[in-house]
Amino acid sequence: MLVRLALHAMGTRFELVLEGDDDGPGAEAHLRAAGEVALAEVELVDAKLSLFRRDSLLSHIQRNAADQPVRVDPDTFALFELCAQVCEATGGSFDPTVAPLMRAYKLHDDKATTPLVTLEEAREQVGWKGRVELLADPCRVAFTAPGTALDLGGIAKGYALDLAIEVLRDAGITRALLHGGTSTIAAIGQPRGREGWPIALGSGPNAPRVLLRDDCLAVSAPGARSVQHEGRRVDHVLDPRQGLPVQGALVAATLSRCAAEADAWSTALLVNPDPKGLPPHMESLIGMTEAEGERVPTHWHHRPRITRTSPSGFCDIPQSRQATPLQTV
Amino acid sequence: MTTPDRRSFLKGAAGAAAAFAFQPDLSATPRPLNAPLRVGLIGAGRQGRAIMGELGKFDDVTLGAVCDSDGRRLSGAKRRAPEATLYSDHKAMLESEAQLDAVIIATPTHQHRSLCEDALDAGKHVYCEAPLAHTLEDAKAIARAARAASGKFQTGMAGRANPVYSLARSFVRTGAIRDTLSLRSQFKKKTSWRTPTSDPARDKFLNWRLDPEISLGLVGEVGTHHFDVLHWFTSQYPTSVRGSGEILIWKDGRKVADTVHCEFQFPGGVRSQWEASLGTSFEGEYSLLAGTMGTVKLAGTHAWMFKEADATTFEWEVYATRQQFHQDEGIILIAGATELAAQGKLKEGIGLPHPPLYYALENFFVAVGEDGEPCCSAEEGLRAAAVAIRAAEAIRTGAEVAIPETDFSLE
Repeated sequence: MLVRLALHAMGTRFELVLEGDDDGPGAEAHLRAAGEVALAEVELVDAKLSLFRRDSLLSHIQRNAADQPVRVDPDTFALFELCAQVCEATGGSFDPTVAPLMRAYKLHDDKATTPLVTLEEAREQVGWKGRVELLADPCRVAFTAPGTALDLGGIAKGYALDLAIEVLRDAGITRALLHGGTSTIAAIGQPRGREGWPIALGSGPNAPRVLLRDDCLAVSAPGARSVQHEGRRVDHVLDPRQGLPVQGALVAATLSRCAAEADAWSTALLVNPDPKGLPPHMESLIGMTEAEGERVPTHWHHRPRITRTSPSGFCDIPQSRQATPLQTV
Repeated sequence: MTTPDRRSFLKGAAGAAAAFAFQPDLSATPRPLNAPLRVGLIGAGRQGRAIMGELGKFDDVTLGAVCDSDGRRLSGAKRRAPEATLYSDHKAMLESEAQLDAVIIATPTHQHRSLCEDALDAGKHVYCEAPLAHTLEDAKAIARAARAASGKFQTGMAGRANPVYSLARSFVRTGAIRDTLSLRSQFKKKTSWRTPTSDPARDKFLNWRLDPEISLGLVGEVGTHHFDVLHWFTSQYPTSVRGSGEILIWKDGRKVADTVHCEFQFPGGVRSQWEASLGTSFEGEYSLLAGTMGTVKLAGTHAWMFKEADATTFEWEVYATRQQFHQDEGIILIAGATELAAQGKLKEGIGLPHPPLYYALENFFVAVGEDGEPCCSAEEGLRAAAVAIRAAEAIRTGAEVAIPETDFSLE
């Protein structure tokens, strides 16, 4: 038995497929109820971490954390700790303090609760280290430099999926696939009679594929959304280090047991397509081109996992175009 | 219905402008309390979790203890509030936690009575979620216990503490929509309203909302909040109710309706319609008060006023932000607008800076800390519960049911 549910949240659509082992009475009601509670978790994360809602916890933090440390719940604190960790490991390629820059480039609309500043000012306001301080017992967050603001868009979908998956597992769900906007995907188990949930990265016969089982996939691509800025196309991913639109890869995909971690790293690898520092339990696939203006990858850099924690993996990577890994650990 | 005690307020445009100018303090940071408060939470389910989230914003308030009879919920609470002592029995919590100033009750409705009585007996201030009870007997018992107790009691109906609702109410009560013609509220959410569990014993405990023996269904769990807002805006209570309830979508063996319609008769001829469905999410949740000069729409963190063409123009309208709803244009009501306009930040004030629950809790803490009156008394909780209980009876019997004044009386 299959049950499908969907939710509009975080400016995109979340979809969930649940498969039950039992077709008996009440089975469908149970699957649906579990799915609803999981999607309610996504709604809660949206309400808490949205940059576009004045009543979110994130907006509360933005308003107050520069004046005094703001108390947060342990779950949110753990998310901030993960942000700090990935920010450090990626040398700032992933950095939620990019918010003022996103606003200055008009990649956030007027509903954003962060103040609008000039591009020059915004570039001065980016950088987690030295701007965001995490204080334990009790969990608090403080901004130590003026103008600091956080955009959790590079990690929030994954974080929401992690919490939703936990709820599903608690409810006894053994087979499920959940995605946010098709770019962040989490799987429990595998469909009945198959080895995993098959997922294609893009369309066409040459698109790489992933078999996902008890694992999470995140895919980032700069051209997914863009705006016009001073007559030029600006894609929605910015390089926090340079304060400029991303010049790195065309697509970056990561696999991890943790969707938030996969999400953050896929953003970072798009900005800087160098998987050095990628934790050994993660796998990455980066699509690049050397041709000017080309938007379809011509070669792929694949870094398989050193520590394999799941049967999932990238497969069907076009062999003729497969390049040597950029970096091996 | 003539706007209640309208004459005692400033009239027309001048009154509304005054209401616009004199707002409650709407700073986004909590009001400092005279002394720190230590609170206990009974019930760590959906609402308990939301309460825990908001409590974290109050520097002067410590969550000292959490109680829930369900072990899994208690372990979730341990993760969210690691500093709190955990209890599976509320009596043990009340006995052991002498330092608690107040208790917040967010359990299934049918458990409220004994918890309220025990907490008030123990000398605690009590905040109890709505509906207060699923029977008139229990609701009255809670109101009596609250009246007899030395501590404060607040019913958790958040509308009365909502700053943007207060602003809308000041407009209504100073005649901005003139004579009220009709009232309408709705709750639409596509959800089975079921909590998942594979354990039948736990299922009965978790899905109490679907058990008609202990639950009023949608009219109680959701409607009570809407009814109280209308009572507060109009200072009137309905005298009778007709209703219908069907199971149109979730035919999973439940006995509680998933789609409900009610019509309440108010004194003076005005009717209030209430509609709820778990089969569609269209337009979500809101309340409307329609008058001859305008209509006010209330939707949680937002409120709007839709003016008739012949309504008086307010001086401040030039600054107002508007939002189009098909053919109707609503003026967005902004709490603290005068101050924000002076800073050129009016648009930043659209929507409240916190969820309505935050303001209800803040109101309770300030009432406790400063010996003030909570915004929503046990008596108002009784009235809203009584209206819901009569509505549930109307739905069950298919007959028009009177709502006698004796329902609201504690004598």
